[in-house]
Amino acid sequence: MFFNLLDGVKVVEYGEFVTAPFCARILADLGVEVIKIEDPGRGDPSRRREPFLDDIPGDNRSGMFLYANMNKLGITLNLKTATGKQILAELLRSADAFVENQLPRKAEELGISYHDIREGHPGIVVTSITPFGQTGPYKDYKGGELIPAHMGGIGYTSTMDSNVSQEPIKLPGQVLGFQAGLWAAGVTAMALYRQSVNEQGEHIDVSEYHTAAFNIGSKLPWYVLEGVIPSRTNRAAVAPFHIVPCKDGHVIIAFMQNAQWKGLLQVMGNPEWGDNELFGDPRSRGEYWDALRPLLVEWTMQQGTEEIYHSCQKNHVPVGAVQTAEGALSSQQRAARGFFVDVEHPETGTLRYPGLPYSFSGAPSETPRPAPLLGQHNEEVFCGRLGYSKRDLARLRQANII
Amino acid sequence: MEKPFLEGIRVIALTHAAAGPLMGAMLADFGAEVIKVESNSRLDELRKYPLLSKGQQGPNGPVFNCVNYGVKSCTINLKQPRGLALLKELIKISDALIDNFSPRGLAQLGIDYPMLQAIKSDIIWVSISGFGTVGPEKDYVAYAPTADAIGGLSASFGYPGGEPAQSYIYVGDPVAAMYGIVALASTLRYRNKTGKGQFVDLALTEGVSTLIPESFMEYVMTGRSRSRMGNRDETMAPHGCYPCQGEDKWVAIAVGNEREWEALCQVMGQVELAQDERFSDQYARWKNQEELDRIVAGWTRGYTHYEVMHRLQSVGVAAAPSLNLKEFIEDPHVHAQGIIMQQDHPEAGRTLILRPPWALSAPRTPAPLLGQHNDYVLKELLGLSDEAVAQLSEEKVVY
Repeated sequence: MFFNLLDGVKVVEYGEFVTAPFCARILADLGVEVIKIEDPGRGDPSRRREPFLDDIPGDNRSGMFLYANMNKLGITLNLKTATGKQILAELLRSADAFVENQLPRKAEELGISYHDIREGHPGIVVTSITPFGQTGPYKDYKGGELIPAHMGGIGYTSTMDSNVSQEPIKLPGQVLGFQAGLWAAGVTAMALYRQSVNEQGEHIDVSEYHTAAFNIGSKLPWYVLEGVIPSRTNRAAVAPFHIVPCKDGHVIIAFMQNAQWKGLLQVMGNPEWGDNELFGDPRSRGEYWDALRPLLVEWTMQQGTEEIYHSCQKNHVPVGAVQTAEGALSSQQRAARGFFVDVEHPETGTLRYPGLPYSFSGAPSETPRPAPLLGQHNEEVFCGRLGYSKRDLARLRQANII
Repeated sequence: MEKPFLEGIRVIALTHAAAGPLMGAMLADFGAEVIKVESNSRLDELRKYPLLSKGQQGPNGPVFNCVNYGVKSCTINLKQPRGLALLKELIKISDALIDNFSPRGLAQLGIDYPMLQAIKSDIIWVSISGFGTVGPEKDYVAYAPTADAIGGLSASFGYPGGEPAQSYIYVGDPVAAMYGIVALASTLRYRNKTGKGQFVDLALTEGVSTLIPESFMEYVMTGRSRSRMGNRDETMAPHGCYPCQGEDKWVAIAVGNEREWEALCQVMGQVELAQDERFSDQYARWKNQEELDRIVAGWTRGYTHYEVMHRLQSVGVAAAPSLNLKEFIEDPHVHAQGIIMQQDHPEAGRTLILRPPWALSAPRTPAPLLGQHNDYVLKELLGLSDEAVAQLSEEKVVY
């Protein structure tokens, strides 16, 4: 963990890829004990997702798996078997919450739907993360990162300055999947808080496409009041920010307030064209962007990203660096905040990871622990807590229960 | 009847623009009493933000209404010492303070953690800022689009072989609000157990970074900068967005394994394609995906995007139409889940809002007018008399 705020809280996770694992990790970061269940033999499929350390695949070499599963205990358990289900029930007896991301139909087949679990554990919080939610005509439709991006309306508005002959595109990587996991963590944390007050449980139904669409909520007024459908080809309904190239990368510039605009011109050495009344206010700077852009780019192409970013910001101009991974990892700001953390893994060694975006003044801080090896904590959990003998463990192993 | 998560919890919100208000609205949704302290001396810019063509002005801009629902509003001018004193009185009877103003700006008003602790020793303060309260860039300014860029999202966003791109959608603000939710729930529990409060220092730009770990891990593990991939995946194919019948209509299709690939070929009426050596295993499909995409597009062009979704999902292949906002509102599944709700605002009239991805446990009230709850906050909660409040209004302390 990073900060021990939630000491004593126990969560069991049966998650694959991004959403449920990241939800559980966010809680583990804050002191929750998370026991992650993986299928025996195979484990979480994200173990086989790149990037791999040195481009060599391996069950403990996946950047995504190592990142999303830090700070957890790892066990194997075959939930398709009767004994597996029974062991799960034993684990849940001392758990405050269960997090999973199976399609509703599959959760029912496995016997891990909220309805099933609640029977034996009435006060438990169950968080289910699915592509389309637990209700409605598409509830058992398959998802993945591409699906919520387009179903949730994000694709249609991406990217700016595109045109109808180019396909709408998703956000990079698994941004929406991680965001759904984050949202699930927030609601789960809220439910755990209430549980600590009055012992109430909850079924938390998180739908990925809905979480994706939530990013668009503030665009609704354009449609309701003006009949404008936000689209990647409709430049009118947009906030005035543009990415432009510079000598070694890109920066993002805003059609900012006049005081900030003057600040930018100052940083640029007050070029003559700066007085042009076409660029006199935020609105017209947007309207005449096609004329303004080449003038700005002529300057930016002679400066580096860091140069432009810092000189502008120091002059109160809210320009942003289009930061690369390399740039962020060497950023003094990130270093001052301790945002990136080095974590040592028994097999893969010490690597640097993105850490937490928040710090807590009054909570004890701890060293984060690496993602577990497959079944790493079987003995600790099954023998140490549930009372199985090592001989039992061998039998369970042979029967492919664990 | 189950109680809302945050029953009995009171939060003071010093918020503007989007990130802070979104967090406040979510907290109100979870049952907290959220009091937004604002003032004419420094009005939330979204209150004035008109829509482009109509240039509507008024105390409640339409976007303001989207992100400030459910909260109460009380006008207190914090630039006045007596205003600050009123805020302190409110803190005394509250559980938490949330803000997304600049830390330096608040400090200049005399608002810092030691001051708050002196009033209420177990106060929880969730502070959302662009970069955090430490470091050489702590006084830099970040807006949602620049936060996505500084956070590292924009660099790997865009068409294959293209420039870094922008969406109209910026994740920075909702993400910061959501981390704020995690933080507040956790710190409330911690406070109940230990009696200790917290200062939570949350950075918008860093929140964005936590959502694109692949970019950082790829660099750390291989030294490579992650390339822009559009709709493509690192290993899966077909994985993209394909044109359908009609103007600017597209469907997203993602094939994850051999079984799904065969099912897709069958639905397309091209069973032999499954064994075509250009596409018969995942590596070959990925290598030849340009050609493959053309073949799939040739098929999808004959159908509507909804037809493709239903036909493919019925055989276990992930597919979804690329919906625009209008289609989203009218979609049967969206409708069945009640995601789009009507709301009546006393001034702005009837509008639609997109409810957050969590079932309502309490009815949500519309965004407040400026100072709408002054009487409740100043007279009922703080016990000020009518005369006292009138006097303070005259002195522009309640303003």
